[in-house]
Amino acid sequence: MAAADVTTGETREPTITPQSTRSAVIVGGNRIPFARTGGAYVKSSNQDMLTAALEGLIARFGLQDERIGEVAAGAVLKHSRDFNLTREAVLGSALSPETPAYDLQQACATGLETVIGLSNKIKLGQIDSAIAGGVDSASDAPIAVSEGLREILLDLNRAKTPVQKLKIIGRIRPKDLAPDAPNTGEPRTGLSMGEHQALTTAQWKITREAQDELAFNSHRNLASAYERGFFDDLMTPYRGLSRDSNMRADTTLEKLASLKPVFGKNLGSEATMTAGNSTPLTDGASTVLLATEEWADAHALPKLATVLDGEAAAVDFVHGKDGLLMAPVFAVPRLLARHGLTLEDIDFFEIHEAFAGTVLSTLAAWEDEDFGRTRLGLDGALGKVDRAKLNVNGSSLAAGHPFAATGGRIVASLAKMLHEKGTVDGRPARGLISVCAAGGQGVVALLEAA
Amino acid sequence: MINPQPVVLGEMPSLSKLYVNAATAAARRRVLGASTGKKKLPAASHEVRNVRADVDNLTAYQHLVGETASDILPAGYVHALAFPVSMSVMNRDDFPLPLLGMIHLKNHVQQRVPIAFPEALDIRSWAENMAGHKAGTQLDMVAEVRSSSAGELLWRGVSTYLAKGVFIPGIDKPGSTNGATGPADFSPPDPTALWQLGLDTGRSYATVSGDFNPIHLSVLSAKALGLRGSIAHGMYLASRALSDVGAAKADSFAWDVTFEAPVFLPARVALDITTIQSDSGSWERSDYVAWNPRSGRRHFTGSVTAGA
Repeated sequence: MAAADVTTGETREPTITPQSTRSAVIVGGNRIPFARTGGAYVKSSNQDMLTAALEGLIARFGLQDERIGEVAAGAVLKHSRDFNLTREAVLGSALSPETPAYDLQQACATGLETVIGLSNKIKLGQIDSAIAGGVDSASDAPIAVSEGLREILLDLNRAKTPVQKLKIIGRIRPKDLAPDAPNTGEPRTGLSMGEHQALTTAQWKITREAQDELAFNSHRNLASAYERGFFDDLMTPYRGLSRDSNMRADTTLEKLASLKPVFGKNLGSEATMTAGNSTPLTDGASTVLLATEEWADAHALPKLATVLDGEAAAVDFVHGKDGLLMAPVFAVPRLLARHGLTLEDIDFFEIHEAFAGTVLSTLAAWEDEDFGRTRLGLDGALGKVDRAKLNVNGSSLAAGHPFAATGGRIVASLAKMLHEKGTVDGRPARGLISVCAAGGQGVVALLEAA
Repeated sequence: MINPQPVVLGEMPSLSKLYVNAATAAARRRVLGASTGKKKLPAASHEVRNVRADVDNLTAYQHLVGETASDILPAGYVHALAFPVSMSVMNRDDFPLPLLGMIHLKNHVQQRVPIAFPEALDIRSWAENMAGHKAGTQLDMVAEVRSSSAGELLWRGVSTYLAKGVFIPGIDKPGSTNGATGPADFSPPDPTALWQLGLDTGRSYATVSGDFNPIHLSVLSAKALGLRGSIAHGMYLASRALSDVGAAKADSFAWDVTFEAPVFLPARVALDITTIQSDSGSWERSDYVAWNPRSGRRHFTGSVTAGA
């Protein structure tokens, strides 16, 4: 039960002792522009894109021949032959070949989880430097053979005589030749992620207008961040692309309102989710450089922000107790309570826009008195997120969402925003990241200006 | 002397047309007599301007030779980009040697500055240094690649070819030492890599490089040109070796390869790469050698050296 783990909202004292461990700082990040599937990166593999993002990071921070403590990255859509994807990207990069690496996979939370895991290693004194990252290609997705053909091929491999082999080959039927392409369906419910969100969106009575407005703001904020040059030191061009190809700087609320719904058409209630207020399938990669303060100083590198803490949560979505993408709703109060903080103590909110409905359902749950009492174990609602602090430089609806690359995109951008903000009321500026993931999971993290 | 004013071609020449043209010329010579009758290399150079890599082709090339698909053009890819320009020079009526059947002896590339996609390139090529060889006549095809916008020389390649059995009076002076010394005794080291090259290796490289020389495509087409089977492209093998040297190499480097026994397909090729570092530990050079693991015959040797 998620609620049982939550300390009451009234607690203002941190439940963890002051850190005796070292801090993990974010030095900076680098990503390649995100491309809509079938676009500029159509022939690029996960390894190609991860290496491109990594090479840009190496060039920006002078890491040629550097032995980094550890590199962790992952991809959601990953071929089994890419079991060592991250290590292969390291070997193809200018980092010292003596840099170890591992792969991680936690659906859309993959990127953020690499940041948290590596930060913990830094804090524990196991490593002094690390690179976190993620990549995904919907264009170059792995395709498996059908279950029937897979069994036949394995039997064929075990067969000894030509007669046995011929018999086995004779078992192949036309239906076995249909490939098994990956999809975003939940294995236990058969519903796509969009259909799941449509249920949640309807449950929280999120209007079409509110979703379109969030999508509009995402495009407008991302476009103005590009205009300001915000991404100049967060990105390297790749394959002729220098901006996220999904971004529509000139989109209008009218244009968004004209789109036909794509999810939730058979729910009975009005369908509100369109291609405009849902993230498109995207290709891309991101990386983040983490280190101890001493390592950053010794290499004369910036310290943008500190990774304070992270929290994972999961919900029982299978029979509809909670929405598939609502786990961060539970993770955030637990994380805030641990540090004696409320939503009002946060200066920037980065809530991953899987769908506009996800963000708005999350905010609605936090504002709901009854939900706060019965599900979060608080005295009332968790609180209200100041919309002026939400996704101020755009998020996934505009930038796109190459699943495992989203965490690194958000962490690097937020770290830069916190660094620019510096202090608020005499304390370091704080940022909160929330990423929902398939399987009813969510990972959230707390960052502070360094 | 090479004429300083290049012949500017309106577009990249089509390699398939050039090969057809070369085959026709070869057939004509077979009927009319062996020699072209020309004794001098053409003074003209050919140039194609504003050449841009095609991104799908670049990616396919990178994946085929084992490179990561980055925006930096592999030095061997630039060779493939420049190859049709060189071929068009060798296809000129005043070119003294038959194009078909030429053997690639060695290749020298200076990668002076990394070339990033989608930079526009001016590619110029000419022939020089025609000289006698114990087995025929050899020459150098030079290609220079410049930035179309800045004019800076980025890449320079020299490919040395042998027209086997073609002797040109006045050039085949007796006592030519070119190619006179056979390969030194070779005892294979422990390999650092083992390549499995399928029968389709030549066709795959032809698809990405455009080099559809029949000796690489199939057993039949190779036999038509007097070989016992199809052979791997020399530049495919050298490009894989360059890829195996990896990211350790500097931004600017010299890349050399000398071809010995051809690789008949399908094949297993053993490779050894030795890295030489400076006292401070930075990369200075990688030497490579490849051989047939069964016979011990050496296929090629070469090096990648810092600075160009």
